[in-house]
Amino acid sequence: MSDIPWRLAARSLKRDLRSADVRALFVALVLAVAASTMIAFFLDRLERGLERQAGQMLGGDLVLEQRSPFSDALRTTLEEAGFTLSDQVGLVSMISLGDRFQPASLKAVDDVYPHYGVSRVDLGQGTEQIAFGPSAGEAWADPRLAELIEIELGDRVQVGQTELTITGIVEREADQSGGFGNFNPRLMLNTADLEATGLVQDGSRVEFELLAAGPPQALDQVQELLGELRREGVEVRDVRVDRPQLGNALQRADSYLGLAGLAAVLLAGVAVAMSARRYVERHLDTAALLRCFGASQQQLVILFSIQLIGLALIASFIGALLGLAGQAVLLRLLASFFPMTLPPPGVTPLWLGILTALAVLVGFAGPTLLRIKQVSALKVLRRELDPMPPAAWLVVAVAAIVFGGLLWLYSGSLPLAIALLLGGAVLLGALWGVSALLLNAVLHGIKKITGTGEWSQALRLGARQLARRRQAGVGQLLAFSVTFFAMAMIVLVRGDLLSTWQAQLPDDTPNYFAINIQPSERDAFEQAVAPRVDTQSTLYPMVRGRITAINEQSPRDVVPEDARGDGSLRRELNLTWQAELPEGNQVVAGEWFSSETPMNEPQGWLGAVDATPQAEIVPISVEEGLARRLGLALNDTMTFSVGGDELTTRITSLRSLNWDSFKPNFFVIFPPGVLEQFGHSYITAFHLSDEEQGLIRQLVSDFPGVSLLNVDAILGQVRDVLAQVTRAIELVLLLVLLAGISVLYAALTASQPVRAHESGLLRVFGAGNRMISRIQGAEYALLGFASGLMGAVLAEVATAALYIYWLDLTPRLHITLWLTLPLGGALLIGVIGHALSRGLRRQAPAASLGLLGEA
Amino acid sequence: MPSSRPVLHAERLSKKVTSGERTLTILHELSLSVAAGESVAILGKSGAGKSTLLGLLAGLDTPSDGELRLFGQPLSRLDEDGRAALRAGRVGFVFQNFQLLPTLSALENVLLPLELSPRAGEDQMAKSWLAKVGLEERIDHLPKQLSGGEQQRVAIARAFVTDPELVFADEPTGNLDADTGAQIIDLLFTLNREAGTTLILVTHDHALARRCDRCLQLDQGRLMPFASSDFNAAGGGQ
Repeated sequence: MSDIPWRLAARSLKRDLRSADVRALFVALVLAVAASTMIAFFLDRLERGLERQAGQMLGGDLVLEQRSPFSDALRTTLEEAGFTLSDQVGLVSMISLGDRFQPASLKAVDDVYPHYGVSRVDLGQGTEQIAFGPSAGEAWADPRLAELIEIELGDRVQVGQTELTITGIVEREADQSGGFGNFNPRLMLNTADLEATGLVQDGSRVEFELLAAGPPQALDQVQELLGELRREGVEVRDVRVDRPQLGNALQRADSYLGLAGLAAVLLAGVAVAMSARRYVERHLDTAALLRCFGASQQQLVILFSIQLIGLALIASFIGALLGLAGQAVLLRLLASFFPMTLPPPGVTPLWLGILTALAVLVGFAGPTLLRIKQVSALKVLRRELDPMPPAAWLVVAVAAIVFGGLLWLYSGSLPLAIALLLGGAVLLGALWGVSALLLNAVLHGIKKITGTGEWSQALRLGARQLARRRQAGVGQLLAFSVTFFAMAMIVLVRGDLLSTWQAQLPDDTPNYFAINIQPSERDAFEQAVAPRVDTQSTLYPMVRGRITAINEQSPRDVVPEDARGDGSLRRELNLTWQAELPEGNQVVAGEWFSSETPMNEPQGWLGAVDATPQAEIVPISVEEGLARRLGLALNDTMTFSVGGDELTTRITSLRSLNWDSFKPNFFVIFPPGVLEQFGHSYITAFHLSDEEQGLIRQLVSDFPGVSLLNVDAILGQVRDVLAQVTRAIELVLLLVLLAGISVLYAALTASQPVRAHESGLLRVFGAGNRMISRIQGAEYALLGFASGLMGAVLAEVATAALYIYWLDLTPRLHITLWLTLPLGGALLIGVIGHALSRGLRRQAPAASLGLLGEA
Repeated sequence: MPSSRPVLHAERLSKKVTSGERTLTILHELSLSVAAGESVAILGKSGAGKSTLLGLLAGLDTPSDGELRLFGQPLSRLDEDGRAALRAGRVGFVFQNFQLLPTLSALENVLLPLELSPRAGEDQMAKSWLAKVGLEERIDHLPKQLSGGEQQRVAIARAFVTDPELVFADEPTGNLDADTGAQIIDLLFTLNREAGTTLILVTHDHALARRCDRCLQLDQGRLMPFASSDFNAAGGGQ
C-alpha cells in the first residue's frame, strides 16, 4: 500500500473545487499569495526606484568628497569594482561681466556628467531637458546669477584668469549635490577649463568630488574601502544611507505596505483555518471508507496532502499572477515618480508567494488535517465515531509558529519576529479568555430581555443557539475579532499616516527660502514680505562657525572613525541663537536654556569669548542626529571658531527635529547674548502663492544681496510621491478588506451544516421561515457585535504599539472605532450570514436534517 | 461449494464498553469459523450488537478479549495500519446506507478501492462490474442522481471489483423497499456465487438470511445457531 494515489487525489481535488469550503480555502490562499507577492514585487521595485532617485539627487550611487584631487589608485579600484566615474570640483569665486562683480559658487563638471537624470537648461531655444554639462570654454549660469550681473547668452564672463562664454541658463541641475549650503548663485563650467582659471591652488578652498555610478554589487564590494576612506577624513555619501528628502515619509509607507501584506496573510490564514475545519469534517467519512478498503494512515495523510498542496500550488499560481498584475497597477500609479524604466520584476517574490501559500496552509490547516489520519474505519458502521478535533492550543500554536516564520521572512529581523510572536501569543491567550467571558456576558445580557415580541424572542433564541455551541462560538468570535482587528488596524493606520503627511506638508508649507538678509535690511525685508505671504517662519540669525575641538581635543581624534569625513567637521556650520525652542523641535535629552540665562546683559556669555579660564562655558543645544554621528553626549564640550575667535561651549540639550519640514533647521543653537557680536545675517522661509510671484522680482531688486531659493520643485516632488504612495496604500487596503471578507465567507460556510440542521429542527417543531430567519440574523448579529467590540480593543492596543515602536507616530484614541466596529460588525455579520443562510432556510427540513449525515 | 480452510476464525471474542463506573458487555465470548466460499448470515434484533460484531470480524474494531484470525493472520498482533493492509483488496463491504462518496461519479466510486492499490486496466474492470450490476448507462452519474437501489448496486460493484476473498454486508436491504431489496439480494448472491467469494451478512431480515449457507442468531451478546425448522444450521456455530 505504499503507492501514492495520485489519480484519486487529482480527481477528488477536481470534484472538491465545487464545494463551498474548498472554494473559501482557495480564495483565501489566492488572496494571501496575491497580497504578499504584490507587495513584495512592489516594495522591491519601489526600493530600486528610491535608490535610483537618491542616486540622482546625490549625483551618483557613491560620492566621495575631499579637499585634494583623488588618487589614480583609488580611481582604478573603483573602476575595477564596476563603477563609472565622474569628477566634479566645487569652489566659490568672484566672477565679473564688465564692471559687475558677483561671488558665485562654481561647479566644474566633466564630460561624463550627469550619471543620472537630466538638467533643465535654456540653451537659447527655451528650456530643454538635457543630459550633459557645459563644454570646454563654455559656462552656464543660474537665473539668479544672470539677473544679478545681467548676463545674456553669448556674454563672456571673467572667471579667475580666463574668460568663458555663457551658453546656457540652468534652471535645474540634474543632481542636487550642492543643497542649501551654496548660498551663492551658480556658475557651471567644464573641468577642462579649471586649470586656465588658476583658481585651484594649494591652500584655496576647493572641494573635489568623485561621483561613482554602479550596480549594488559594486557598492558591496567597496564597503571596506569606504570605511578606510571615512577614517582618512574623506566625506563618503552612499546612496543606500544618504537618501535626501522623503526619507521619513517613504520609510513609513514602506512599513505600512509590509504591515498590510502581513495583515492580508494573517486574515487569509484565519480563513484557511476556518475552511480547513469544515473540509476535514466533510472528508472524515471518505477517510473512514478508505480505511475500510485498506488505506493506511500514511496513505490518507499523503492523499489529502497531495490534494491540499495541489490546491495551494494552483492558488499560488493564480495569486502570483494577480500579484504581478497588482504591482503593475501600483507601479503605474507611481510611474511619474520613477525617473526611468526599472528592470523587470525578479522571480524571488514568486517563490515568496508559493512559500506563503504552503506555509499558511500547513500552519493554519495542518493540525486540523491530522484529524483525518486518526479517523477509525469503524466510523462507516457507527457515524458518531468522529475523532476529537485537535486541541485549540495546538492549532493556535502551530499557526503562530508558521506566522512567526513568515514575519521573519518578511521583516528580515528575527528579534522583531520573536517579539511580535510572543506578544501575539500572549494576546491570543488573553483573547481566548476574554472572548469566552465576553460571549458569556453578551448571552447573559440577552437573557434579561423579557419582551414577547418576535424580535426579542428571536434574540433570546439566537443567543441560546450561540450558547449551545459555545466552543465553536468562541472560535468564530476569535476569528471574526482578528478579522475586524486587522481590517480596522489597516484603516486606522492609513488614516493617521495620511493625516500626518498632510499635517507635515500643509498647503502653506514654505516654498521660498530667503538667505543672507543683513541685520540692517531685516526690518525692511520683513515689512516687504509679511503682508504678501501666507506663512513665514521666524527670521533666524545665522553665524558661520567651524568645530575646532571636542572635549578639548582635535575633533578627528575624538569622533568615531567613520565620522572623520563627516560634512559637519569639514565645513562651516550655520549657527543660530534662540531664546525659545524653535517650532517643530523637541528636546530629547537635557534641558533647553533656562529663563535665568543672562540673555540681554551686556557681558552675558561674552565672558566665554575672552577664553579666560574663569569664563563660564556657553550652553548649547545640538541636533540628536549630529550628536549620534559624532559620538557627542550631554556635557561634552565643543569649541567653535567663529570669525577668528574661539568659543567653548557645553552641550546642555539634544534636540530632535524634522528635516523634511521645509523650514530653517539648525544643528547647533546658542542662547542669545553670545553670537550677536559676530557678523551675522538672517534666514527665513515663507510661502508665496502663485498670484504673489511678482514679489520675488521686487525683492531681488530691493534687496540685491539677499538670496532667494525657490523650493517649489522639490516640494512638488515630495507631494507627488506622497499622493502616489497614498494611492498605492489604498489599493493595498482594498486587498486587505477583500481578505477580511474571504474570512467571513469561510467562517460562515464552515458553520452552515450545523445551522442547517438547527433550522431544520426548528422547522419540524413548527417555527416559520420568518422566525428562523430572525433567529439566525440575531445570532449572527450578536456574534458580530461581540467580535467588533473585541476587534476594537485589539486594534486600539496594536495601533498604539505600532505607532510607538514602528511607524514613529503619536498614538491617539480612536473614539469612533469603538462605535463603528461593534455596530458595523453586528450589521456586517448579520447581513452576510443571513444572506448566506438563505438557501438553507429554503430547504425542506428533511434535506437539512440529512445534510449533517452526508460525507 | 465451501472448502474446509477457514477464512475467518474467531475464538471467545468479547466486547465490553465502559460508561462511567458501569461496564457493559455487548458481545460475550463468541466463537465462529467461516470457511472459504461459505455464506453466513448473522441475524439479530435492532441493538443486538450486530454491527459491533461485523466491525470486529472485519478488523475495523478491536475486541476486549479473545482472538480473531483473518486469512490465517491473528489480528491482535496487527496495529490499525496492519489490519487495514490485510483488508486491502481482499475484503469488500456493502453497507446499509451505501456509503458512496457524494462528489465521485458511479465509476469513480467503484474505482476507489482499486486506486488504493493501482493495477493495470482498472477502468475496464470497474466498468465491467458496473455492467454486471446493470448500470453501464449510468457510470458518470453522481450518487444523488441515482435511486437508492441503484446506489446499492454501485456499492455492490465496488465491493466485488477488487476480486475480494471475503465480503461483509451490513443490512444491505435496510434502506430499500421490498421489491428493490429483493432485486439487490438476487444480485448479491448471484455475484457471490459466480465469484466464489465468502460472504458474511448481518441482517434482521429472515428472508435474506435464509439464502445463506448458514444462519446464526445474535441474542443478548451471544451467538447461537438460528433455531428455525425452515432451514438447517450447517454446524460450526455455537
